[in-house]
Amino acid sequence: MNTARYIERRIASGLLLLLAVSLLSFSLSALAPGSFLDEMKLNPQISPETFTALRAQYGLDQPIALRYAHWLRAALHGDLGFSFAYNAPVSSLIWNRCSNTLLLTGTATFLVWLLAVPLGILSAAKGGWLDRICSFGSSLLLSVPEIVIALALLAFVVRSGRLPIGGMASLNAEDFSLTQRIRDTVLHLVVPAAALVLAALPIVLRHTRTAMAEVLQAPFIKAATGHGIFRARLLLRHALPAAASPLISLFGFSIAGLLSASLLIEVITGWPGLGPLFLESIFARDFQVVIAVVMVSSALLVVGNLMSDLLLYAVDPRIRLE
Amino acid sequence: MKRLYFGIVLFVGLHCAILFPGLLAPYGPAEQNREYTFAPPTRVHWFDAGGRFHLRPFVYAIVPTGDEGYSESTSARYPVRFFVSVAVPNSGQRKLRFFGVDAPGRIFILGSDAYGRDLFSRVLYGGRISVAAALLATFLALLIGTLLGAAAGLRGGLTDSAIMRLSELGMALSWFYLLLAVRAFLPLRIAPLETFFLLAGVIGVTGWARPARLIRGLALSAKERGFVMSARGFGASEFYIFRRHILPQLKPLIFTQAVILIPQFIMAEVTLSFLGLGASEPVASWGNLLADLQQYRILVAYWWMVAPVFAVVLVSSTYFFMANIFERRVQSVAI
Amino acid sequence: MPYSVIFTNSIFTTETRGQLLISKSGNFETYKRVLKRFSITRLRNFPITKCLLCLRVSVVNWILFCVALPVVAASAAQPLQKGEDIQVEPGLTGNYGGTLVVGQRSEPKTLNPVLAADAPSREVIGRINADLIHINRYTQKTEPALASSWKMSSDGRTFTLKLRRGLRFSDGQPFDADDVVFTFQVYLDEKVHSTQRDLLVIGGRPMTVTKVDAHTVRFELPQPYAAAERIFDSLAILPRHLLQSAYEQGKFAEVWNLNTPPSQIAGLGPFRVKQYVAGQRIVLERNPYYWKADSNKQRLPYLDEMAFIFAGNEDAQVMRFEARETDIINRFGPDNYSVLAKEQQDRDYQIQDLGPSLEFNFLVFNLNDVPADKFPDLVREQAWFRDLKFRQAVSAAIDRQAIVRLAYRGHGAALWGNESPADKLWVDQSLPHPERSLDHARELLKSAGFSWNSDGKLIDNQQKPVEFSIITGSSNAPRVKMATLIADDLSQLGITVHVVPLEFRAVVDRVFQSNNYEACIIGLGGADADPNPQMNVWLSNGGTHIWNLHEIHPATAWEAEVDGLMNQQMVTVNYKQRRRIYDRVQQLLAENLPVIFLATPDVLVGAKNNVGNFRPAVLDPYALWNADELYLRRQALASAR
Repeated sequence: MNTARYIERRIASGLLLLLAVSLLSFSLSALAPGSFLDEMKLNPQISPETFTALRAQYGLDQPIALRYAHWLRAALHGDLGFSFAYNAPVSSLIWNRCSNTLLLTGTATFLVWLLAVPLGILSAAKGGWLDRICSFGSSLLLSVPEIVIALALLAFVVRSGRLPIGGMASLNAEDFSLTQRIRDTVLHLVVPAAALVLAALPIVLRHTRTAMAEVLQAPFIKAATGHGIFRARLLLRHALPAAASPLISLFGFSIAGLLSASLLIEVITGWPGLGPLFLESIFARDFQVVIAVVMVSSALLVVGNLMSDLLLYAVDPRIRLE
Repeated sequence: MKRLYFGIVLFVGLHCAILFPGLLAPYGPAEQNREYTFAPPTRVHWFDAGGRFHLRPFVYAIVPTGDEGYSESTSARYPVRFFVSVAVPNSGQRKLRFFGVDAPGRIFILGSDAYGRDLFSRVLYGGRISVAAALLATFLALLIGTLLGAAAGLRGGLTDSAIMRLSELGMALSWFYLLLAVRAFLPLRIAPLETFFLLAGVIGVTGWARPARLIRGLALSAKERGFVMSARGFGASEFYIFRRHILPQLKPLIFTQAVILIPQFIMAEVTLSFLGLGASEPVASWGNLLADLQQYRILVAYWWMVAPVFAVVLVSSTYFFMANIFERRVQSVAI
Repeated sequence: MPYSVIFTNSIFTTETRGQLLISKSGNFETYKRVLKRFSITRLRNFPITKCLLCLRVSVVNWILFCVALPVVAASAAQPLQKGEDIQVEPGLTGNYGGTLVVGQRSEPKTLNPVLAADAPSREVIGRINADLIHINRYTQKTEPALASSWKMSSDGRTFTLKLRRGLRFSDGQPFDADDVVFTFQVYLDEKVHSTQRDLLVIGGRPMTVTKVDAHTVRFELPQPYAAAERIFDSLAILPRHLLQSAYEQGKFAEVWNLNTPPSQIAGLGPFRVKQYVAGQRIVLERNPYYWKADSNKQRLPYLDEMAFIFAGNEDAQVMRFEARETDIINRFGPDNYSVLAKEQQDRDYQIQDLGPSLEFNFLVFNLNDVPADKFPDLVREQAWFRDLKFRQAVSAAIDRQAIVRLAYRGHGAALWGNESPADKLWVDQSLPHPERSLDHARELLKSAGFSWNSDGKLIDNQQKPVEFSIITGSSNAPRVKMATLIADDLSQLGITVHVVPLEFRAVVDRVFQSNNYEACIIGLGGADADPNPQMNVWLSNGGTHIWNLHEIHPATAWEAEVDGLMNQQMVTVNYKQRRRIYDRVQQLLAENLPVIFLATPDVLVGAKNNVGNFRPAVLDPYALWNADELYLRRQALASAR
């Protein structure tokens, strides 16, 4: 099967997947207890009649199948729905937040791979102290919830006073020149990106190390060493591609997680991405926002997995596309 | 050889401590000392205030200083006793403890929490449910993940697409609402044993998708290797090929996944507790203890509350260590 | 003089700033006005290239610029006009200038005052709008706002308000009685679904509004209503000229959301919207036409701008305040008090414990009539819950002081009744505050037919062990702590209590919808220091009659008595009489314990030391109620941040 047709088929199945995700998400949202208006029940000044009227206004009294049909029809026309909480179309809420999130996760993902792969290779090839430090460091980082990592970094920054504490820009950033704006954004990016890197680094590091260690014992590496091939060339040109399979799948996850990996860290560090909006919408049962975000990140998941499959194929030509 | 013995001792010791927390813990996990909230770790002395040496270590009484801190009062000295029998509050029973000090003295070797409960005891008691549930969940997730992932990689075609689309569905869905719905259908009170299976089941069943994809990727290239092709040529059954030729190639990946998943699953309990699906107060679990740590003021003001992190590190490192040793032994035997 | 602050620095830096103003902010009009005033017209010819060189002069200049920029860019307070009915605040002084930064836990959802329901939105909306009659948060008494005076007719049903003359909305358009009539038309419209409509409906019938003349309006109440003037607090008066067409097209729900251009939003409050950046901040600037002035006849507000930045959660809010990125922290949790207190001296801010809030937290048993086939266990347990002696025993066994000490870290007050001590005018001081007594609890249980088995467990008269669960919202740490403490307290009586923290909306769903719970710890926040907001809680057919919803007739004799008393206090205008009636309600509630009152958290706020006129109050919006009077002390403005 040629690559183009394969991609076509994958995209078609990806669309089916999105349909299934939306259907299931709708059903789950109906099953989950509570509704957007519940908060009002605790306000003694709002009468049950007002409550019922509002339910009708938001269409929450309609059966779930009907609500899904409405939503689907709108979605096919490119309308992602309406937020109850903001009284505004969902699309007006999520797009610029998406780009903020991508800035953060893109930077972090880049750094993770930049750091983790060389460290993993070195720790597999050299062993010794570096290996032990990597091993202990990664199991320590894996055992700390990412929120705690972010909080610890922030607590440190509060005490050192060198970096801004949260958000993405200074209050008066509009009045800055371009270079100052970039500097300002980078300064704000340090803490959330560092937290994300520390949380994701050990996973890639561990996988790289294991896969490389396995490959380095293979006969062909011993043969290559015997032929006097340079160590660096040996590691990067011969060993790494042979060890790449799990890394490629992980890379697919990295792409898939570009919109979802940083949700909690964004809340803690006040990064104006999807995180605060998404989590608040989940708790507030602002379903259309939740489903829109789920759909967008599902689309990214499809893309990420497709990319990893194509990469797998590119690295190992023995694999056939089916 | 020395490494092996060290590993085994560590492994067995750790599991005994976690499985039988009552042996080592000086207090019950839910025993509150409301006048000693957030007390720092109690210092164990050998020399008293006058500089005199005591063979039997002892602790001083701790007194609140008013500004949420504590100081030692040298007026009362409580020697640490071993194998003491202490009364269990509100039950009239007595229990044997490995060590302790006489009341009204207190010994909090890892400090105390917001209710004045001994953190050391809570870490020990919390380990039982957390480690066991995380292990079982990891096993479940990896079992499902390996079987499905390998099946997808080896069979290819429709099986592959079906399994991979299913895993994508699993990764894309908002589990939060599903779990909320699950909680709504369960009875209000969930017994500790049910909690345990619930935790393991929920985490394991929701956690298989990523391992499955990783394993499938590896299986895809593994099945194209010469010896696998030749085994197939000799008419070996598919299951035989999987067991004898593919699985050994997957093993390092599976071990690595296990080491990553165990701490992740322990932490997943934090979310589940939030939804009322995990162990709830006053039951101790590492997930609950880690959840406490997610508050700014606890992190900056009460440093001893990070102890559960090191418990998790210790456990997952031990597993990693043991896995390494066994692998090396197997290899050296084979060669 | 608002401008003096920046121009005290060297001319050079001033020029740099001037150039930048043109190129960046585009607020050319303001700029020209500034220039004219100081005749620094040569700035216009200053070459851009040189300006860019100046940019690099020093970081210090930049920081100065950052501080000073808003001072220039903000709209200047208009001089007082003749015929303008300004309210002069005696004894109030301060200086102009600066931006006050406030950290908010989450982002406001809307700027529409009629529909806003969440706290962050109301916090912002309250600063850009004004009401007819205002409750002074400090004295808890009403005071004139847009209405300069009011009169109630002798039958208590006609309420006449005189409006201030010569006032303008923040866009410069005049304000008169038509705006008031329009506003109440919107609030009362059933199709608009304002959450505040129910306040204006008295005894099932809405009040009516008529314009008497351009500056007089009359409200007809369907029946006499105590504290009628308190209803008007926080009901924002809307500009008819901006909203009428949207309202008539039935599109009122869509107006004034966060994406509305600031020029289309106007109010009568001290500030007006300048800018909204999604997910980051909302910046307000001075309303140049605001109708209050200080003792020197200077028009308020003092501040040029107020910026609300969205922190994400409370910990982030606390850290930003601690790092001095925000000037005010408006209410934070008791857990963070000690962290902030420790740094007070070094970081030049102060935090204050204002004492108990109006919120009351309680333990409620499920006394709803539930179907026995669906909830067999619950129905059996309700035999205990319905027994007053059982509830009294539980109440006696609870260590409320420990709750205050552990759940609120000492920053709260124990409660034995529904009114918190914060409600100065209404709390019944004579209610007994019994100490915790396990012996008394045991006696009560014994006399109610309970006994103890050989394991020390409490059993009822059918030998069944007494065991129940308490649900509570897992995101509210103090309530989870209360439940855990109560479980330990009751275990000393041999009662087994399971603590079940659930996600908040799952709790609300169980309490209000499915009735599938045994006991719950929850809190209700008082909206105002007055008995009326609690009507729906204590009336037996009220929507928030939490322990037994949907009662058609009062289930017990005392509930019938409370119904009568609550309805009576609502129409009693005399404070002393009303107070006597309401004291009796509080006694009935404390005696019959439909819910077991536990504790109320203190209101904790903080501000940098350079914030002047900082006078926080225990009523919402706590530190921001006098935002028009807050100012940044001059030396703080002059020095770089």
